[in-house]
Amino acid sequence: MRSLRIGFLLGFRQIQRANFWTTCLIVFVMMLTFLNLIAVSGILVGLIAGAEVAVRERSIGDIVISPLDDEDRILETESFINELEAFPEVTEYSVRYNGNGVLEANYKERRNLQAERDIANVRVTGIDPANEDAMTGLSEELVAGEYLDPGEEGYILLGALYTEEYASNYGDIFETVSGVGPGDTVRLTIGPTSKEFIIKGIVQSKVDDVSLNSYIPEREFRRLFNRIDRNADQIVIRVTNPEENSAVRDDLRLSGLDEFAQVETYEENVPKFLTDIKNTMNLLGTFIGSVGIVVASITIFIIIFINALSRRRQIGILKGIGIDRRVIEIAYVLQAAFYALLGAGLGVLVTYGFLLGYFERNPINFPFSDGILVAEPLGTFYRFVILFIITLFAGFIPAWLIVKQNTLNSILGRK
Amino acid sequence: MPIINATNIHRTFGKGDLESHVLKGINVSVETGEFVAIMGKSGAGKSTLMYQLSVLDEPTDGTILIDDTDVVTLNEKERTAFRLNTLGYVFQDYALVPDLSAEENVMVPLLMRGHAWADAKEIARAAIDGVGLTGKYPNLPAELSGGEQQRVSIARAIAGKPKILFADEPTANLDTVSGTQVIDLITQLNKEDNQTVVMVTHEREYAMGCNRIIHMEDGQVVDIEQLR
Repeated sequence: MRSLRIGFLLGFRQIQRANFWTTCLIVFVMMLTFLNLIAVSGILVGLIAGAEVAVRERSIGDIVISPLDDEDRILETESFINELEAFPEVTEYSVRYNGNGVLEANYKERRNLQAERDIANVRVTGIDPANEDAMTGLSEELVAGEYLDPGEEGYILLGALYTEEYASNYGDIFETVSGVGPGDTVRLTIGPTSKEFIIKGIVQSKVDDVSLNSYIPEREFRRLFNRIDRNADQIVIRVTNPEENSAVRDDLRLSGLDEFAQVETYEENVPKFLTDIKNTMNLLGTFIGSVGIVVASITIFIIIFINALSRRRQIGILKGIGIDRRVIEIAYVLQAAFYALLGAGLGVLVTYGFLLGYFERNPINFPFSDGILVAEPLGTFYRFVILFIITLFAGFIPAWLIVKQNTLNSILGRK
Repeated sequence: MPIINATNIHRTFGKGDLESHVLKGINVSVETGEFVAIMGKSGAGKSTLMYQLSVLDEPTDGTILIDDTDVVTLNEKERTAFRLNTLGYVFQDYALVPDLSAEENVMVPLLMRGHAWADAKEIARAAIDGVGLTGKYPNLPAELSGGEQQRVSIARAIAGKPKILFADEPTANLDTVSGTQVIDLITQLNKEDNQTVVMVTHEREYAMGCNRIIHMEDGQVVDIEQLR
């Protein structure tokens, strides 16, 4: 305790009397290191987190209802919906019918019947346009044309990645039809049945489920796909408090709805590849951040080493007059701790006071997501502790190296 | 009973062809309350001898008893504690910690000895008053003249009431007036407080207040001059 007190006095006075701008520079370096540790992995993870947010907002909502394992559809869908509407926590829902078909364009203009047809295999989703829009804001994803009007028939919303114009940026990885836009007529073929649709609009989203989909009104879908039982493929639900979606899921299950379908939260339904990429990004970010920690510890090592080396004689004299070497080591470790605490503290302030909000307002525009900055407080705390401990070692080692030297040699400046 | 009794002290540096035999079997004793000066030309070995006697260095051979403790057998930690509790030092270039005020410089060894903060502060101020620097407590070393810094250094050395005060050419960096003031102060400590002092100096006039002068040449004591 005595050593700590005297070490604190020596260390504190060294910091106090040090050159102000030098101290600022060191603290600034520590702050940047901490930000590097937080921001790099935070942005990498944030890319995926942004994708997750988009999937939740624009596609599958807070709770997902899907067919039981041994069933093709959600059983008793109409009864299910009636039950669902009785739950006050359910704010919006959309019933979806899914199928696949072949979309053909430009068939009216085709003169040479031997030429290749302009077709694409497409996913078709039957929706109630009003419910789907309320649930996922589908109309906001329009990049051309208009949204489906409830009640009207013969119109289709086409995912942008089914059109050559929008998909050309991605090479030829998607099946597309060319030269089509709002107002053009396309033919949708399901098995032996074909029907003409007028393209009402083109939708494009960061969520592939939207951009690689085509939407028609559910009534038309059921007719086209001969789905007379009205049983749906998917119901997506938005609840009042998304954070407590698991409680709503449990209530839905308790009410017996799980006899008709699987009731799962968004988290249980999040695509596995997103979780895998997120973990990989986290690992990558931690690795890059670790390089930052090494750089910071070397910086601190050099600073403390130069500081201690330039005071080698003074250290020798302190030992000469009977000051325990631990006291001197504590003084230098304290300086390192000061730089780490202040630098990392400022880093925390900048992260939570500015960066998080900034990226929230100005997400990074990636093709598959709006990248945000993810900085979980617990993760930040762990990084803070890691940086702090490593800095303490980086401060201790050079001090130890200098302090352990022969007292008289230090006093006389001998090697 | 001498407070310092050094017998057959040898100190060599380097090895083989580069070996340098700096102290060649020195026998020295200092009585309690005595003021002893060590003099000699550069390279005579006077500072090296003082480092052995003041437990800052270890002799290659020989025995040193200080206040009945065989200091040669002590380990590094024990030597540090021994220096803290038994010895006081005044160095040629004051050797104050530049970041600490005059008062704090004096307080640090006292705190290390286990004094409470307030107690250490009171003793430190009394010691600073004693060397004639009343009111200079908060001054940093850089804000004091060379003579004043050396007096703070003396205050630091004597505040803990050491059994022996070692002074390594305490006037070397001072002008004549300041040098005389410092020597007067050390002499006064010796006479009034019966402080045992061992001092290395180049200048005979500063050694005239001592009881004895040990003259050294080529690593050996060539003469012991009794003044008082």
